[in-house]
Amino acid sequence: MISITINGKKINIEGPSTILEAAKKNGIDIPVLCHHPALELWGGCRMCLVEIEKMPRLQTSCTVPVADGMTVYTETPRVVAARKAMLEFLLINHPLQCPTCDKAGECALQDLTVRYGAVAGRFEEGKRTFPENVDDPIVVRNMERCIMCTRCVRMCDGVQGAFAIGVVGRGARSHVEPFSGGRYNCEYCGNCLNVCPVGAIMSRLHRYTYRPWQMDKTVRTICPFCGVGCTLSLEIRGDAIQKVSPAFGTGVNNGLLCGRGMFGYGYVGSPERLKTPLLRKNGKLEPASWDEALALAASRLLEIKNRYGGQAIGGIAGSRCTNEENYAFQKFLRAGFGSNNIDSVARLGLLHAQNLLEGVFGQGAAANVIQGIPRSDAVLIAACDPTRTNPVMGLQVRAAAKAGKKVVTIGHAQGLNRHRTHSLPAAFGTEGIALAGLLRELLRTKKFLPGENPELEAAIRGFELPELEEVEMLTGVPPAVITGAASALKDAATSSIIAGRELAASMDARRNFMLLAAIGYILNSRFFLISENPNEQGLIDMGCAPDILPGGRPLTLQTFRERCEQEWGGKLNPEPGLTLMEMFEQAGDTVRAMYIMGENPAFNLPGRKKVKEALGKLDFLVVQDIFMTETASLADIVLPSKAWSEKEGTYTNLEKRVQRLRKALEKDKNQESGMEDWRILAGIGKRAGLNNMSYAASSDIIGEIARVSPLHTGLGLEDLEEDGMMWPYKGKPLRMGGRVPPLPSLRAMASSLDAARVVLEKTLFHSGTLSRHSGALLDIMSGPEARMSPETAGQLGIPEGGKVKISTADGEMVLKAQIEKGLPAGAVFAGNNFGEAGSLGLFGYHLEPESKTPVLTVSDLKIALFEGHIP
Amino acid sequence: MKNSFGPGALALLNEIKTKYPTGRAAIMPALYVAQEEFGWLMPEALEAVADCLELPEMTVRSTATFYSMYRHRKAGRNVIRICTNVSCMVLGARTLKGVLEGLYGVAPGGVSPDGRFSLEIADCIGACGSGPAMLVNDDLHTGLDAKKIIEVLENYK
Repeated sequence: MISITINGKKINIEGPSTILEAAKKNGIDIPVLCHHPALELWGGCRMCLVEIEKMPRLQTSCTVPVADGMTVYTETPRVVAARKAMLEFLLINHPLQCPTCDKAGECALQDLTVRYGAVAGRFEEGKRTFPENVDDPIVVRNMERCIMCTRCVRMCDGVQGAFAIGVVGRGARSHVEPFSGGRYNCEYCGNCLNVCPVGAIMSRLHRYTYRPWQMDKTVRTICPFCGVGCTLSLEIRGDAIQKVSPAFGTGVNNGLLCGRGMFGYGYVGSPERLKTPLLRKNGKLEPASWDEALALAASRLLEIKNRYGGQAIGGIAGSRCTNEENYAFQKFLRAGFGSNNIDSVARLGLLHAQNLLEGVFGQGAAANVIQGIPRSDAVLIAACDPTRTNPVMGLQVRAAAKAGKKVVTIGHAQGLNRHRTHSLPAAFGTEGIALAGLLRELLRTKKFLPGENPELEAAIRGFELPELEEVEMLTGVPPAVITGAASALKDAATSSIIAGRELAASMDARRNFMLLAAIGYILNSRFFLISENPNEQGLIDMGCAPDILPGGRPLTLQTFRERCEQEWGGKLNPEPGLTLMEMFEQAGDTVRAMYIMGENPAFNLPGRKKVKEALGKLDFLVVQDIFMTETASLADIVLPSKAWSEKEGTYTNLEKRVQRLRKALEKDKNQESGMEDWRILAGIGKRAGLNNMSYAASSDIIGEIARVSPLHTGLGLEDLEEDGMMWPYKGKPLRMGGRVPPLPSLRAMASSLDAARVVLEKTLFHSGTLSRHSGALLDIMSGPEARMSPETAGQLGIPEGGKVKISTADGEMVLKAQIEKGLPAGAVFAGNNFGEAGSLGLFGYHLEPESKTPVLTVSDLKIALFEGHIP
Repeated sequence: MKNSFGPGALALLNEIKTKYPTGRAAIMPALYVAQEEFGWLMPEALEAVADCLELPEMTVRSTATFYSMYRHRKAGRNVIRICTNVSCMVLGARTLKGVLEGLYGVAPGGVSPDGRFSLEIADCIGACGSGPAMLVNDDLHTGLDAKKIIEVLENYK
């Protein structure tokens, strides 16, 4: 305990702290410009100077640690004079453009100038000039306003780890810019402009339209783009989002955002939003009233149920929909129509990955806190790139690297090229074999304490693992590299393992995850599973899978089924239904109708041609969405729903944290009458005469979830006020785990190591369906790209700026070539983001027999220079 | 335009790398090698240094632009630094400047149209006793006059 006195007030402080932190905690305000709690200390602006007894000179309170008995004064005449002098220095060059500057009203320099007195200029010389730079589509740099606090540079280097901007020049000519001096070549996280205390780095998205004091309200909510579930604030005026602000100090992200979250919100105001229900009449989708559309949906669904039975109806729940909506969806189909054909995009990998891990360690095996990653001694990244898919989780890995922790990557993780200590660059598809090599080394070198789970240990020791030389032959990773990585990992007292879809969407998924579980057991690791969509975890927890009910209870559990029947007032079919791809395979045969809520399978599933054909074979297709997607355009009824900013509800992130979504807009400016997804379901339920589907508000549904799901027992919205609630909420997890089947044998890889291949990648700037309607994200990345290394481009004969034609048995597309250093040789990366050029159109699939996870396949691949015109 | 180091420069850089504990510490000597190799520190030169030292390009650029004695603009094949401080000025340095401008068309801060010379004004090169003086690349020439300076420069092509 340290006791100090600030301005005559006695303060006790636990643990190490700076004077500034101690003062802040006790309500004493010390002004700062260069200091920011998210950044490394700097002590450059001299605004936080304070007087400390027995120290002759003024001290920077942001850097001086408190010491017992210290007496500090924060606003003496001497301190005030010093601050005023500092401001005068800053204002020598700062142009007083406050009336036209976007920052006015929330500018630290403006506030301090007002607080310490308007400073009269005493210089005859003119101010330095820099032309405002508008070369970038997102960021405007006005370096005349810059006060050289370097917050942006410290953010970019120290926190974001992108090293995209820096101070250029020296003395009065110092300024901040990217390497090119013009357009940025960066991750567009926007964190630099979020920490700028003045108007030097500004967003073009709300240029000259945003005034902080003119906002109607600020709404704290959760980002709609990926499974990290970052907290952000929406600044609302009228019926539009004016900007996204970070909420530093709150949420899983502590205020940090990525480009999608920061700049992607524009889609909610897109004029392409669906406005009214549409019904197919004479082959064309025509506007209709809600009443007509809901009544028709109800009667057609009933008709199909009566004619073919409930199992003829298939449903796909939405990874962008809330827990409440997904819960209502599975109840609607299960209890209302007697169908268990309910699945979602969690089938593409997350569900299987989770099931495999939970099979070994029990439910909640991957429910861990993201902010714990940098506190681990070692982080193992298994065949994924969190900096692309879950960017803010990626920042935690970078933070671990910065703190000197061991970061080991297996396979390709471009965003961690500068932030890892060990890289096992296993060829695509062979990452699991590299894991086997790593496990072998760990078993050889690590002292195994008599563990808590003897069965698991015995099973691990029974694994047949390949020699490192064999691993090298298959993966291309030399033995010395594996040995090095193993020795870095084995001494870690705490560790984290991050794995993604890639290992799970594999014919070798079981082998991959048993190896990963074994490594995790030996290292006592926490697991994190990459989750591409904002509520992918919620889909699983709400029972949107053919064989599980809410709370993750198996459908086959009779007692639990009866409990649901009682609550829902309908008989449940005890037979598990069809999985995602099976529904399409059986479309027109056993599956006659489909109900798709907020998902776009005609675009974001492999085997695109077949999926589209399958949708065409249905007797009846209902789609709820906010845009006319590829899937909606095939529907018989399209029902416009509300965007994420227009509804209440909860999302569950990849940590299994339930967080609140808050309604920021009543309706969008372009939209007349979208309805929440749950309200649409309730409307159809009422017209179909279903029991217990009438809800007045989203909060009614979470009340019901808290009654039905044993995991969410007693959970209420009031529990979610701050940073949400972590798994297992107030409920009970299912006791299971401890099952370790023997390791399936290692399969020789079908493809040779150096053949060219096309790799599906998650683009940092796009998410697929939604981001195509976001103007800002389109400005950053306007069209489909095929990224490749200079060597690969050379082999394929593709010049800089050329076009590439990629064709497979499943489809072909022409993409702009983007040549980048640091990509693995032989691979061409393409994202699934832009309509016909969405790269999933190139992939077919096989079903992994155990989980029915579609495993991507490529056949008859040809990659060549395209010299014609892109139509 | 070449955008990677030749074998000689690479050997030099590899030797430099062994003398410094981190890539960051080796930026300045590496920049001199790059300047020698590329003529001046154009973006490609900075990228090559960053590649070689495995550093972010921006880190290299920030460091390079802090120092005014690196060449940040295109330079001639030979760099003339002529002193115009007091001693040299009194002894006629200004006339020499005029000679260079007339003969080679190169003004202070500029490059001759044929790319042969660039001219910089130096502030004292420590040869006050025998001015007017100039440096051509790394060679010192003293006691110059309108005739001698042409004779000297004829040796630099």
